[in-house]
Amino acid sequence: MRPTLAPGDYVVVNRWAYRFRRPAAGDVVVVRNPEAPERFLVKRIFDVTRSRIEVVGDNEGRSRDSRTFGPIPLEKVVGKVWIRLRR
Amino acid sequence: MSLLYSLARLLDRISPAPIAYAHCDIPCGIYDPHHSQLAAHTVVRMNDLINQLEKPGASATPEQRQEYTNKLARYLATKEQHAELAKNEIRILWGDYFKPEHLKTFPELHDLVWKALKTASKARQEINLQAAEDLLKATNDIASIFWKTKGFETTTAKAPYPTERQTVYPKYK
Repeated sequence: MRPTLAPGDYVVVNRWAYRFRRPAAGDVVVVRNPEAPERFLVKRIFDVTRSRIEVVGDNEGRSRDSRTFGPIPLEKVVGKVWIRLRR
Repeated sequence: MSLLYSLARLLDRISPAPIAYAHCDIPCGIYDPHHSQLAAHTVVRMNDLINQLEKPGASATPEQRQEYTNKLARYLATKEQHAELAKNEIRILWGDYFKPEHLKTFPELHDLVWKALKTASKARQEINLQAAEDLLKATNDIASIFWKTKGFETTTAKAPYPTERQTVYPKYK
């Protein structure tokens, strides 16, 4: 997620962000990794459909994201990155 | 380091927060086209076994029909899985291993991969020995390019499996 996030940064995630509004393209979100559900991923929303979102990493050339594993169902979205604390 | 960051780190030490990864792919650098070739051999073998399977005639007993159905279903399931496995392995090489500089040397790579994936789908969908043979040839062609990018020469030899088809192997130094 460079340059937005760097290894070691802390993020505060709002788990209720999408209770009252829908995810929007451009939001940075934490999602369950569809390829390894016990892990979380932080990515930027690229596109939103009715029940799914597509995410990509900001560091496009090095990121494994929806271009590889496809769209993510909304229930896999943990929340929206609210505050970022730079290392 | 900001005060807030230090505070977050302190909280993290007291009660560790889960980690959100930006990279879920470890660039391990370990790639080998052998998996795709092996999967293609299995698809060829399943076609052979299916073609050798005696179909139950009009006078076959229910038990004979059941046995035939059981065998056929198992061969088909294996063919299905391994054709998909071959596709997955080809995609990994294509998407993760091959780099733009490889394409400059081997401009045919994109077309080769594209055709290999289409052929694998055909071999998966149909009982079609020719499609399976084509898939094996495609995995051999990709393997040949792969080993060249690694600086290895290749040799073509009869595989030590019941399929006995010609297979591309690297010549290890």
